[in-house]
Amino acid sequence: MKYLIVIACVITASAFPSAAQEHPAAGAEVPACITCHVSENPTEQDAALKACPRPNAEAAPAHESSESPDFFILDKLSDIYVPVVFPHKLHASMTEMGIGCEQCHHNNPPGPILGCSACHETKPEQANLKQPALKGAYHRQCLGCHREWDHETDCVVCHAKREPGHPVALPADSTDIMGMLHPNIEEPDIKVYKAEDMEGTPFVSFHHREHVQLFGLKCTACHQRENCSSCHNSEQQALPREREDPHQDCVRCHTEQVNNDCTFCHAETERPGFNHEQRTGFVLSTFHEGVTCTQCHPQKGAFTGQKPECNACHAADWVPTKPIDHAVTGVALDETHAQLGCVDCHTGGIGTPAVCEACHDEKPDISKWSTNAAPVRVPAPETSAPVEEHKGTGAKRYD
Amino acid sequence: MDLNRRRFLQFLGAGAVGGISTAVTPAEASSVENISDGYGVLVDTTECIGCRKCEFACNREHHLTDLPLERYEDTSVFETERWLQANAYTVVNRHPNPENAAKPTFVKSQCLHCLDPACASACLVGALQRQENGAVTYDAWKCMGCRYCMVACPFQVPAYEYGNALTPQVRKCTFCASRTAQEGGLPACVEMCPQNCLTYGKRSELLALAHEKIAGNPELYQDHVYGESEAGGTSWLYLAARPFTELKFQDIGPEPIPHLTETIQHSIFKFGALPLMLYGMLGAVMRIAKGGHGRHAETTAEEEVS
Repeated sequence: MKYLIVIACVITASAFPSAAQEHPAAGAEVPACITCHVSENPTEQDAALKACPRPNAEAAPAHESSESPDFFILDKLSDIYVPVVFPHKLHASMTEMGIGCEQCHHNNPPGPILGCSACHETKPEQANLKQPALKGAYHRQCLGCHREWDHETDCVVCHAKREPGHPVALPADSTDIMGMLHPNIEEPDIKVYKAEDMEGTPFVSFHHREHVQLFGLKCTACHQRENCSSCHNSEQQALPREREDPHQDCVRCHTEQVNNDCTFCHAETERPGFNHEQRTGFVLSTFHEGVTCTQCHPQKGAFTGQKPECNACHAADWVPTKPIDHAVTGVALDETHAQLGCVDCHTGGIGTPAVCEACHDEKPDISKWSTNAAPVRVPAPETSAPVEEHKGTGAKRYD
Repeated sequence: MDLNRRRFLQFLGAGAVGGISTAVTPAEASSVENISDGYGVLVDTTECIGCRKCEFACNREHHLTDLPLERYEDTSVFETERWLQANAYTVVNRHPNPENAAKPTFVKSQCLHCLDPACASACLVGALQRQENGAVTYDAWKCMGCRYCMVACPFQVPAYEYGNALTPQVRKCTFCASRTAQEGGLPACVEMCPQNCLTYGKRSELLALAHEKIAGNPELYQDHVYGESEAGGTSWLYLAARPFTELKFQDIGPEPIPHLTETIQHSIFKFGALPLMLYGMLGAVMRIAKGGHGRHAETTAEEEVS
């Protein structure tokens, strides 16, 4: 991306000469001069730039790939080569699985994202052997992946042949490149691993879809520092993911379990997915089905327990907007009581004990109403608003 | 060539005695520490993609072949290992990577331009010489075609024009002396390399850069700069991600190749040892010859008496 912005500056420089004069770090947060310069008093003639990587200048500002420019024309070396049309947004979206914009825009000082030629000289600099020249910088970035990805290192893969006497033909329809984003990745429902060295409990069931859609993990929570070739071979066939340590992804959240409790993951057989009712005793059906985990358990990561009473989450004067199956509370209402409003009995608010004395002279024995049987489930509503807050759109029934 | 050799031997015979007193100097000068900091090239094999553009640039620069650029995209040449030839000053070879078949290692080979070159030491006529800038250059006018340089070179670099019956030459990388003589000039291969795998600069700075690269990425690089000490040090230096022996680099000790032979030869001349031996031998011969003649004369006299 950094190349691209700089090249964009170059392209626009002819129309807006003053734009090229701006300091590259001019922005909301101007870093200290010594972040990039050796001297405290750099001049335009002698910038005295530090060699990259510059300390304290490693973080490219966070950007979404969708914000990035669609494509750039790399024409700094076009006196030698035909300019390269670089589909930027396509590559930006691919780096999301990797380390993000910094995959290419390494050592970007705070401020605007810089292109390659902001640092890399067109001509090799004898003074700075550490830094490849612009040609090397381009090629290293491109071929670092393309070499593995499609094994194509022929020049014509990027450099269209220049026909003598004809100007460079840029694509007439830029939509050829725009929108060429990575096709949707179909996430697996469950991955079952077999740890051969775990006798008796070899099976680890990883519910992939659940982690993404229910627990809200981003792809990059686990898939870090990936490259095209870590998922595909040159025939675009999916490859199994390789991990140096099989626990490396799990341990980021399940630190304690990985270190102390093998059976948290390792089991004799394949395990079912997360079941809120089984794990906590609280049934999510109907009304809580579309609620994201963090709406009730605000602490992200290791979810903390929440009281089952309604007023633990809901306000004291809250009343259900739709009829509920009271049996889920462990007390099944008979027909008479089902007609009443919530606050008729729960005068202190939903979640407070029912006050029978408002109608009854004596408190009736409601123990006979108690139900140990599976609560009656009310079918889920057609739509439930909070679903949209989830990352995915898959099924949300967990009971 | 015969004429050259004869003339040379005559010259050598005449100059042998005169050279005795001065011959000690080069032996002392050959210690690597005394050699000026010339230029070199750092080859980072981890960046090389095997595009063979360096071969193209070299061949074009030295008019070795006139193959069009497209022909160099043919990767089938990597099927067999190639080596330097009279019409190939540099070649790139592919070494399969057992850990990742998709990422083989490519190694560019050419003259390493030793700090203390064995070829120059072996050369009887001084046709091969190390220049101040680090290049080991060849003077075809001086060369008499003995090909000792080819035997001496531990890297098997010099090639010979066996196909040229009349004016054959020893051929090897020239370090593009005519290009680097200009301000900012780079060897043709260095300038062409699209990946900047080749870094041209002062050898001392390149060594510092190489060690910095290793320290910055110890997981990638082998902790060894090939050429830093091999054969007393070379101007061309290599970084690699795999052991150099796997990449068919010669396993050569840090002793400069000419060191042993030059030490022996030059020690003989030290303190006038050889002249003393020579005169001693001559004296012995004279004495034997004189004694033998005396006995012969006596025998003849006895015969005459009888």
